[in-house]
Amino acid sequence: MEYRLSVNDDTVLVEVEPAGDNSLSVTIGNSSSQISYTIINDHHIRLHIDGKGINAYVAGNADEKCIVINGMTYRIGDADAAKMKGPRKSQAGRTPNEVTTPVPAVVVQVMVKEGDIVEKAQPLLVVSSMKMETTLAAPFSGRVIKINTSEGAKVMPGEILVDIEKEGEA
Amino acid sequence: MFKKIVVANRGEIARRVMSTCREMDIETVAVYSDVDEKAIHVLEATEAVHLGPADPFESYLNMDKIIEAVKQTGAEAIHPGYGFLAENADFAKRCEDEGIVFIGPSSKVIKDLGDKIISRQIMSGSGVPLTPGMTESDPPRMADEADRIGYPVLIKASAGGGGKGIRVVNSRDEIEEAIKSASSEALNAFGDGTVYLEKFFEKARHIEFQILADSHGNVVHLGERECSIQRRHQKIIEETPANRMMQELRDKMGKAAVTVARASGYVNVGTVEFLVDEDDKFYFLEVNTRLQVEHPISEMITGIDIVRKQLEIASGEALNLKQDDIVCRGHAIECRVYAEDPEQGFFPSPGRIEYLKEPTGPGIRNDCGVYSGFEVPVNYDPIISKLIVHAETRDMAISRMIKALSEYVLLGVTTPIPFLIDVLKSQPFKEGNVFTDFIPRHFSEWKPGNHDLNAALAAFIVDEMTGGRKMKVSKNAVDKIPSPFQTLGNWRL
Repeated sequence: MEYRLSVNDDTVLVEVEPAGDNSLSVTIGNSSSQISYTIINDHHIRLHIDGKGINAYVAGNADEKCIVINGMTYRIGDADAAKMKGPRKSQAGRTPNEVTTPVPAVVVQVMVKEGDIVEKAQPLLVVSSMKMETTLAAPFSGRVIKINTSEGAKVMPGEILVDIEKEGEA
Repeated sequence: MFKKIVVANRGEIARRVMSTCREMDIETVAVYSDVDEKAIHVLEATEAVHLGPADPFESYLNMDKIIEAVKQTGAEAIHPGYGFLAENADFAKRCEDEGIVFIGPSSKVIKDLGDKIISRQIMSGSGVPLTPGMTESDPPRMADEADRIGYPVLIKASAGGGGKGIRVVNSRDEIEEAIKSASSEALNAFGDGTVYLEKFFEKARHIEFQILADSHGNVVHLGERECSIQRRHQKIIEETPANRMMQELRDKMGKAAVTVARASGYVNVGTVEFLVDEDDKFYFLEVNTRLQVEHPISEMITGIDIVRKQLEIASGEALNLKQDDIVCRGHAIECRVYAEDPEQGFFPSPGRIEYLKEPTGPGIRNDCGVYSGFEVPVNYDPIISKLIVHAETRDMAISRMIKALSEYVLLGVTTPIPFLIDVLKSQPFKEGNVFTDFIPRHFSEWKPGNHDLNAALAAFIVDEMTGGRKMKVSKNAVDKIPSPFQTLGNWRL
């Protein structure tokens, strides 16, 4: 069985073969490992990888799971599942394809205007919340069609602040 | 001793105060806003009074409602925690007028020490070294004074805090503009545009001393704390003892802290902040007239319950501690765990805590304000918990903290735990090179590592194969009932 998993902006191919009760053989790139697993509860999987025990904590669904191992968080999604369902709010509340504030905030600065061509990750707005300022950036390259807010405006999560027409879609 | 008190706060600090109250058989009254109906501090209180909507001005900052809660429940005192009304002199005065004990210093002391100019004036008469600068606000004279003290200098808001109303000035021609802009920022942030002048130490350490003062004239200090790992003037890692602090300097600074307390007529618990320059010369900065967020590290090394001391002092008891009775052992570190995303500039990232597994073990303490299933509100500081460790030596404390952070699982919100682990593992931190520019200097371009990525990929697959949590539908998630297309799983043609 083959899985195509997305990790940040990369896709990783993982080959999986069942290998007995609660056991799998997993191949990533050139390396193969023997993995056995025990489901402890809804969020806790005990893995043994090549004999070494690891506690993995999981939340989320096929679109994106948050997996915590040894204090590090990994956001992994099934690249095929994501394609079928379209963009969705990720488990941590981030909406990768929309320009929206993660928390109720006030717009401090608008850095683009309608008609501008923007690149992916280009800063679009600065919002301020609970004494913190953050910059909201373009989720993909394209053209700014509409700016739905202005400096000083109070904004809520879910409100699309900047409409960008994606490059290649007309 | 009090029979019942109101804790006028929320989250981890309200919980922590109530914890000591329960040990002392004091009944507790929690106050809460709409979004905190099921918050842990409400669940653990004897009684709870609903204040109103989530907006702090309608709830935790609303003096009328809080005083009403005291009257309604027959409580004798209010513990204000930190933040909110803890350093509000008007609130302390109202309590005094209403015959309610405010667990903290008097309103006059809070007022005096809340004004940086007045604080400096009080200290300048007492023999406590002051940061070179002016003890009154006199903008026309600032340029000459700055020349005399030597650049760089700071224009600082008298009513200020949290990094607002401060401008660094490197030369005489920058002063006028700095005064204007610091003043206007202060006016907007604090309603008071008064500014004064102070020398700016670029490579200074912020060292603070915990003081306890009773109403019988006894004042002691519990040693120092070093809070030099900050991000945008917000502390994230604190430790005690301070790095490279010689006992001689500690004794001198401790005595100065006690002098500060006496000079200002301080009663109850407070913290005296100093700046220490590269030559180990120290200068009074300000007094924080409240219980501080990082008080647990002082509790760990001294074995003293500081909240208990607050309650005892506020109820009129004398401190049964002399300075020689206070012994500091080992090393303690605190990491603040907030619902913030270190990859998005530490922007708040609240949400529902899906799963929580706290670290445990010898010398590990987690002052936690949430639980599995709790919805972290967006309306307040997104603090989840303070993780504190205590060990024999600094090296052992660092290892203990790394281990504790690595075991701490929080699903549903993003936290800076991976960032904190990397800071603690870093060479500069291990060496104790902790100046206030630590993060911009060593961690400005931080990205999380992926040491266990293969294990994470395996976990993803196992979770998918064994059904994950797909079939669970929570009662509240009516609009999230999975459609057949979502539960069908993945397929390939």
